[in-house]
Amino acid sequence: MLTMRQHWKRRLGVAALLLGASLACSPPEHRQAPPPPDAAQFDDRTPEDGGTVVLRLDTDIRSLNPVFINSVYEKEVASFLFDGLLELDQEGRVIPGIAKSWEISPDGKAYTFHLGTSTFSDGTAVKAADVIFTLNHILHDSPELSGAFEGMQTAGTRAIDDQTVQVAFDKARAGQLLAFGTAILPEHIYSKGDFAKDYAFAVTGNGPYRLLRRTAGKEVVLQRRGDYPGKKPHLEYVMFKVIGDASVAWDALRRGDIDEMELNSEQWTRAQADAGFQREIDLRRFYKLGYNFIPWNTRNPILADKRVRQALSMCLDRKSIIQHVYGGTARVITGPFTPDQWAYNPEVPPVEFNPAAAKQLLSDAGWRDTDRDGVLDQNKLPLEIRMLVPSGSRTSIEQAQIFQDSLKQIGVKLDLEQLDNATLIGRVTQGKFEATFLSWDLDLDPDLYALFHTDQIPPHGQNWVFYSNPEVDALLVQGREAMDQKQRTVIYQKLHQILAADQPYTWVLQESVKWASNKRLRNVKESRALGPFFWVPGPRDWWIPTPFRKRELSASR
Amino acid sequence: MVAFLLRRLSTALVTLVGICAATFVLIHAAPGDPVDIYVASLRSTSVSPEIARTVRRIHHLDRPLVIQFGYWLRDAVTLDFGDSILEPGSLRDRISRALPATVLLNSAALLLALLIAVPIGFLSAMRPRRFLDQSSRLIFFLLYSLPNFWVALILIRVFAVRLQILPLFGMTSDDFERFSTAGRVRDLALHMILPVVTLAYSQLALFARFARVSLLEETHKDYMQTARAKGLAERSVMIGHGVRNAAIPMISLLALTIPYVISGSVVIEKIFAWNGIGLLFIDAVLSRDYPIVMALAVVTAVATLTLSIVGDVLYAWADPRIRLGAGEVGI
Repeated sequence: MLTMRQHWKRRLGVAALLLGASLACSPPEHRQAPPPPDAAQFDDRTPEDGGTVVLRLDTDIRSLNPVFINSVYEKEVASFLFDGLLELDQEGRVIPGIAKSWEISPDGKAYTFHLGTSTFSDGTAVKAADVIFTLNHILHDSPELSGAFEGMQTAGTRAIDDQTVQVAFDKARAGQLLAFGTAILPEHIYSKGDFAKDYAFAVTGNGPYRLLRRTAGKEVVLQRRGDYPGKKPHLEYVMFKVIGDASVAWDALRRGDIDEMELNSEQWTRAQADAGFQREIDLRRFYKLGYNFIPWNTRNPILADKRVRQALSMCLDRKSIIQHVYGGTARVITGPFTPDQWAYNPEVPPVEFNPAAAKQLLSDAGWRDTDRDGVLDQNKLPLEIRMLVPSGSRTSIEQAQIFQDSLKQIGVKLDLEQLDNATLIGRVTQGKFEATFLSWDLDLDPDLYALFHTDQIPPHGQNWVFYSNPEVDALLVQGREAMDQKQRTVIYQKLHQILAADQPYTWVLQESVKWASNKRLRNVKESRALGPFFWVPGPRDWWIPTPFRKRELSASR
Repeated sequence: MVAFLLRRLSTALVTLVGICAATFVLIHAAPGDPVDIYVASLRSTSVSPEIARTVRRIHHLDRPLVIQFGYWLRDAVTLDFGDSILEPGSLRDRISRALPATVLLNSAALLLALLIAVPIGFLSAMRPRRFLDQSSRLIFFLLYSLPNFWVALILIRVFAVRLQILPLFGMTSDDFERFSTAGRVRDLALHMILPVVTLAYSQLALFARFARVSLLEETHKDYMQTARAKGLAERSVMIGHGVRNAAIPMISLLALTIPYVISGSVVIEKIFAWNGIGLLFIDAVLSRDYPIVMALAVVTAVATLTLSIVGDVLYAWADPRIRLGAGEVGI
């Protein structure tokens, strides 16, 4: 599964605030927080329970019903409230969740899960019927998750007993198991009333935290469940603060009002140079699954020729872009997989910046400047391409200008058209574009069917570049059906190679996540694939030594 | 008077429907479709076309535009603005939460600007081109030229980060619910200081200049000369006669300014995380969430039209020479 994240993208900003605002309102003698001992020197070998962590949301959440959530922030909050049938570990491997064990039938079509002793926050046990209830709602109501359960058979999917569930599919799919990370809802509560409207913020989950309160546009507060049957997390309260503006969030982090946030390249560079900042804040940088790319509309007569696409890719000076636009905090990628995926083919070289070779390639393809106007042409058609640039994205605009400049030197005219995101998405999904800047968030399974299979050409799917290659189609089908990972690795490495040669996208770079967290937070670890959240134990292992605690929240309301 | 009001009300009603229709057409004509945007923001590669179709059907997006407008108008007359396309929860609730926040913030800013600017404007008019006039002009125009997002960030740096005497963002503290009434008022007031100052400073120039010009225009009128000839002190001529008359055009200015109090300020609301109409509106426009855009258009249009009528009435009340309506001319 992949996500289109535009460049204006909501950052996976994550941060935390404690009594920040209230500090200012206390009597003057309490205005300063008690002088904390040096955060770095405190003994942090023995985790202590209690304390409040404050995370940043850069947009408010719209729902906490797992069937309807879609933003990364909603998922982040929900990950504290709900446990899935299965969970992921730090390496992105599947581990037991509510299901303590599971079997897959030899034909790969049926999954049997054996539930452990999980309870909802109202005290009732999670039963097989709840799993069936949730899966049915996902299949019928969830725009986002239903795709992952495509081909689920309602007849073969049933509760064998209270502790055992069987889920059956029309056909075997290699990445299917990963879909079972989905949250499970209590049927006896969510079956009453209007499922779509009544449970947006009335949450009964089975996760380690319960929802204490949510104030629209302001905050979400969670409290640790005393009756959670699994391993309890250390932090008593998790508070999410909505702060839309990145500069304000930065100030809030410095003041200690929030405990963490994602930084942009500019803030990262500033933080690197600031020793005072680094005394209190940990900085880390990691790559998640995702990349930025330039899609080429292969239905366009000019761009249909893969030599043209290859030549254009050769004119994108990625090293310079990484240095100047991203302050060195990104890396070049070679194709549709990132180096952290098993599907990645290390043999595929990156496209080197080489305008001279690009010009030669275009000349071989018949593009020459016959009318001496400085722009290459062929049959009176000038080599001119219009690129849509999201107007809110400074990085996209700068990259486009660097690209435009290199292309001009070999006689290719790149026209830039800035559009707001809504318009840009509209143009791309309708195929009314030649080139643009987009980025994908990748799912753990490397299945690329939705992006490059001929069946997925709009309006059926997200093959927005209208790419069609019978060899690729065949490999894509084999890749999602083969159950053996070794076999799949061969298939996907082959796909990596073909796609890199065909360049339906120019694979630009992988931006790193630049993350800052307050040093009072202990035992913070990130997963290469998932970041700090969305894996177990993840934030469940975080703790704050007592001397660094600020004021405890009240449990009232 | 009654005839005038009826006529004005009926024109206002027609104007309102016109504004709604125009907004409706414009927002639908804007490229990009809410369902496409929604689908593109999802994480699934195989979004079920079935669900996209359902969303379209519920919101009548699959019908011709005229029919869609008909549906909208039918619901709107009962004050039912429908549900947001993208978000669960009642739209009316969201607007009724955001509206007071915005009105509170902007009316405080307007009041502050008026309290500072109008007296200074009048004083400047009494002694034109003297120190107060020149210096206030310089300062107000300097302030006017400063971009407000920049000023907001500077104020935050100074008062919230360096001095730590004011809150950084938000409308209330974490523990707001537990405060006493007095504590709540204090807490809210502290949170309002920076955004109110940011919103107010740029309005000073307009109000001060307007007040100054209004009073200056009165200075040489016959009745003022008469008053002076009667031997009244210049001070009482100005305050007793001039200021009273100069206040009349201020009413029109206010009637035109107040609608902005309702529509909110996107930039300031975003920076200070002030959960008001401005933020709601810009998010809705950017995601093409038609029902929200339309509901806010109605709210703003109704406010503007109402205030312009109220302005006319007040005008007539303040200046008896003005007669409302053709039927009353010459009486």
